[in-house]
Amino acid sequence: MNRIFIVEDDTAVCGELCRLLKSAGYETATPLSFERTVPEILACAPQLVLLDINLPIISGEMILCELRRKSDVPVIMVTAASGSDEVISLGCGADDYITKPYDPSVLLLRIAAVLRRAGKLPMCEKWRDLAVDTAKGSLTRENTEIILTKNEMLIFRQLLSKQGKIVTRDELMTALWDSDEFLGDNALTVNISRLRAKLAEAGYNDAVETRKKQGYILK
Amino acid sequence: MKISDHLRDRLPDYMTMLFTFAAIVLFMDAFHVNTGIIISTGILFWLGNALCEMREIMRRKSFYDTLTERLEGLDKKYLICEMTDEPDFFEGKLLCDILRETGASMCEENLKYRNAAAEFREFIEMWVHEIKLPLSSLQLMVHNTPCENSDKINEQLRRIDGCTDMVLYYARSENAQKDHMILKTSLKKAVTAAAVKNREDLLLRDIALCVRDLGFTVMTDSKWLEFIIGQLMANSIKFISQERSPEISIWAEELPDKIVLHFRDNGIGIPDGDLPRIFEKTFTGENGRSGCRSTGMGLYIVKSLCERLGHNIQVRSQVNLFTEFEIAFEKNDFYYA
Repeated sequence: MNRIFIVEDDTAVCGELCRLLKSAGYETATPLSFERTVPEILACAPQLVLLDINLPIISGEMILCELRRKSDVPVIMVTAASGSDEVISLGCGADDYITKPYDPSVLLLRIAAVLRRAGKLPMCEKWRDLAVDTAKGSLTRENTEIILTKNEMLIFRQLLSKQGKIVTRDELMTALWDSDEFLGDNALTVNISRLRAKLAEAGYNDAVETRKKQGYILK
Repeated sequence: MKISDHLRDRLPDYMTMLFTFAAIVLFMDAFHVNTGIIISTGILFWLGNALCEMREIMRRKSFYDTLTERLEGLDKKYLICEMTDEPDFFEGKLLCDILRETGASMCEENLKYRNAAAEFREFIEMWVHEIKLPLSSLQLMVHNTPCENSDKINEQLRRIDGCTDMVLYYARSENAQKDHMILKTSLKKAVTAAAVKNREDLLLRDIALCVRDLGFTVMTDSKWLEFIIGQLMANSIKFISQERSPEISIWAEELPDKIVLHFRDNGIGIPDGDLPRIFEKTFTGENGRSGCRSTGMGLYIVKSLCERLGHNIQVRSQVNLFTEFEIAFEKNDFYYA
């Protein structure tokens, strides 16, 4: 399981963040004090660091610079709405940034993307006995090949990343829109039915379950 | 300085002089002074006076003429004392001293307000940063603990977020501080970010988003551009037409000297009479008054941000058909150097 180290001084935000990430299947850790953040991060050896830029004692940028000297752990900076923090933080070696307030779906998407880029998530995924090839947009077994469109693949990947758990429509929408596929509500439903039909055709009936008013589950 | 004005001003003095001279002539005549002496005294008296008067007029005229000329050419008139050469006559010196003193006091006053504005702005920035914390917690809480009102709560949270952003960018657009960073920015990225941010509002109203030909990079501040596009989206969302399925099209085109971003919706449009004024502060127009809640600040802020970034923004519209905004990003070699 991937461990995420959260450096955030607002306790309410920090607590909710932990809950969000835990329910998304990550382990979380937080610093005990903001004086020795870098050694704590190093001791914890997380797969990803979520680092706020406005911190007491030492600023997020300083922590990032210090951390970068000792480790290349992926870092997502959390920047305030003001200023050009992103430019500075990306210059310091952050992998991505996100602006407060946290849009939960976007945050989860960014985390997954950064983890994938850093190779902490498997590139070639498997679902049941099918190999998932994102680049080719296909699911393959010895002699079966299911070709998915770009949208269907995006949906499938999102479902797969949380296999067995509910994925909300908003999470699917966020993933699609973030990839410049600005689908409407109906189009999403159509795409999911098509995905379902394609899976059923290959012999996987009821692979995608609908939970009313909640979302979808890939079994 | 007009010479005639000066002469008119001095007229009483000349009259006094004339009377004095007449009295002297009468006096001399009473003592039977030689007529030749009287005449030569007269010539000398008037010649001397005329010379003095001419010199006085010359130096005053040269001083005041330069002063008014420089004043006219000055953008900030209160800086005139810095531009004035020290005159060689007493009154001029006095005037200069007064100017200098009032100028200094003006600068002090100016500085006071400038400092106050900067402090206020700093406070606003801090406040926005501060308010984003509870907003973040709330947003995460709603996500973590869904309830039947989640969507409604989220919508209201987004409204609060939008309002605070508005405050932030208003504070920025009003103050000439350098807090934007002009870098190569992908139009596609900015549009996608704005779309993802506003996705729920767009989806809720079933607005189709058609995005094409955005493969350009422009020189701008990415966050500001995102805010600008977000504001245009919010505007379109507010004024959708009930008669057809709502649609927003965003595309860009490359011209020889600039890249133009088009933002078009098929909403209710803007009446011709309102069109020239929509970028004015607190202007709400017919649309704002009829039904839709409008503060008249959004487009004003958009316009001032565009001006600050050096982009030209224009609007075209036809009632009941469309509204189209065009933002022109100049291709300036200077930026790329």
